[in-house]
Amino acid sequence: MKITKYPFAVFSAALFTVMLITPISSISNLIWLISVDMPVGVISSLEVLFFDFQRLGILLYGVIIIGFAIAFTVAGMLAKYTRLSGKYLYAMAGAFAIGTAMYLMVELLFDSELLGGNRTFIGKILHWIAGFFGGYFYYSLIVKDYKYTFIVRYLGVLYAYFILGFVLNWVFTPEVAAADFGFILKDLTDTAQNALLRDFTSFFIATFIFSLLGVITLNPAWFFSAGIIYFGAAFFNLFAIFIHGTEYNQIYIGEIFLGLWPTILALIILKKNKYLKLL
Amino acid sequence: MKFYLFSFLLLFSIHSSTEYKFETVLDNLDDAWSFVFISEDKILFTEMPGKLKIASLSDKSIIDVENIPEVEYSSQGGLSEVILDPDFKFNNRIYISYSAKSDNNKITLFLSSAQLVNNRLVNSKVIFKAVASRKSSAHMGAKIAFLSDGSLLLTSGDGYDHREKAQKLDNHFGKIIRINTDGSIPQDNPFILNKNALPEIYSYGHRNMQGLIVTSDGLIYEHEHGPKGGDELNIIQPSLNYGWPAITYGIDYSGAVISPFTQKEGMEQPLLYWNPSIAPSDMIYYEKDLYPEFNKSFLITALVSRDVKQVNLQKPDQKQKSLFTELNLRLRNIQDSPKGYIYLLSDGPNNKLIKVLPKK
Repeated sequence: MKITKYPFAVFSAALFTVMLITPISSISNLIWLISVDMPVGVISSLEVLFFDFQRLGILLYGVIIIGFAIAFTVAGMLAKYTRLSGKYLYAMAGAFAIGTAMYLMVELLFDSELLGGNRTFIGKILHWIAGFFGGYFYYSLIVKDYKYTFIVRYLGVLYAYFILGFVLNWVFTPEVAAADFGFILKDLTDTAQNALLRDFTSFFIATFIFSLLGVITLNPAWFFSAGIIYFGAAFFNLFAIFIHGTEYNQIYIGEIFLGLWPTILALIILKKNKYLKLL
Repeated sequence: MKFYLFSFLLLFSIHSSTEYKFETVLDNLDDAWSFVFISEDKILFTEMPGKLKIASLSDKSIIDVENIPEVEYSSQGGLSEVILDPDFKFNNRIYISYSAKSDNNKITLFLSSAQLVNNRLVNSKVIFKAVASRKSSAHMGAKIAFLSDGSLLLTSGDGYDHREKAQKLDNHFGKIIRINTDGSIPQDNPFILNKNALPEIYSYGHRNMQGLIVTSDGLIYEHEHGPKGGDELNIIQPSLNYGWPAITYGIDYSGAVISPFTQKEGMEQPLLYWNPSIAPSDMIYYEKDLYPEFNKSFLITALVSRDVKQVNLQKPDQKQKSLFTELNLRLRNIQDSPKGYIYLLSDGPNNKLIKVLPKK
């Protein structure tokens, strides 16, 4: 568990930092919308915050993991071979990683400031501060040892985080969600639109709730339930292709992946609870 | 074996035969962006790195025009649109839009007029410089069109990083500009009496407008790239606010929400929008006879969907048609020749000009 502690600390610190960073862009955007007299309310604010956390967050999550992995490795070596040590070294490394990542995203990748919240001086400072806290959080994770439940819960939360994107899309922007699955919603009949919206929404909400319940209770049945649904989707995807002659749709690969993930978590819980002696 | 191979190829070629035939007229162009017909055989075209060229379509000869203003070729900027003065036959005057560095060493949009004499630009004059300085040349807009009263319209994009400024009238980000051909400001411009507004502004609340036409009945149509989703076709009227980025049907490239709102009183709705994005790059309104199936239709080139969308607003129930998909090219520009032939310009480096042959 000691070896796996460090990568999981990086992943966890990155997720924590995403939670701090995405509201900077969301709130700066909401403030601007209010300034031009748009009717921003509680629901629309929550919509912006949740969507940004999920969709913008996923992009940032990848960037921050890379940045943190490099920065914390260097910080670890500094801590080992110099007198520098302690939580503030990692905190500074986190701040530096975020500042550098934000800068390089503009200069090397996009040639434009992709993060709305990073366009102002105050926004940039807030991003550095978020990185600082991310580094601090990383340090607090590596000084302790964790049980398997930490990893299971962490991976369960991450799984729910991915699924949350589908949920939000189908609830708030079904046209965009449908387009992601190859449907042009407006071109469908009213009945077909209704069927598509209700079935897809309940499908993703169910798996989202199952995974959260798995995280809270550590009852493997919840993770199995989510896994069964995605395995079912993959199976009937192939069934539709080979039996009913529909067009090949490689989305079944993603469905298998989304089925395997909670299933593995469920099996880990079973093994640790000695229910599964074969593992 | 050869026989089978030949038969297979023949079979394939029959299956791949299409409704329209295409002829590549010019090839290996260096990021050509726009073109205009001087005659049925001659076109004037821009290349983004800063070249203006004249090509003969019959013998495929190409001549460089000299004395072109220095441009900033990076990202989406460079030498962009070229159009002819309505009296070009008599005054040889042309208009070009381009991105270049301003006095503050930042990039902005310029519009110049010049006379084309002996393959050289003379009497060049900058007639408009946008108050829209930016670090990168993303979202320049840069489309030009003539109104029937002889004034010029120019699209000035939101610069991506400056999108919120599209809602303010003290700058040229996300605006359609109207000026006279000498650079003066028409006295009937909608904000000319507004001390807090720049007088060149004709309409505002736009994003990256890459299609701008004035039809024979005097109506102005514009299309603009949305972010991820939300490309729009609009009918433009003076002083109106088209909503960007306060209302939109798209989300940001990063996945972030730009606005949770799609409509608001005082902000115009598009005639139609595309979700997912097609990335509309240019358009014409076809009013000639060579392709009767396109008559009174908008033909809109698209980069992402790699086709031309045929939109007929007089038949709103009719679905949009997706044309020329067999080319499988990102299409940058579309023009019809004086006789009515349709020409398509593909996008990017080593691009080509393609003539669409009418159905027999």
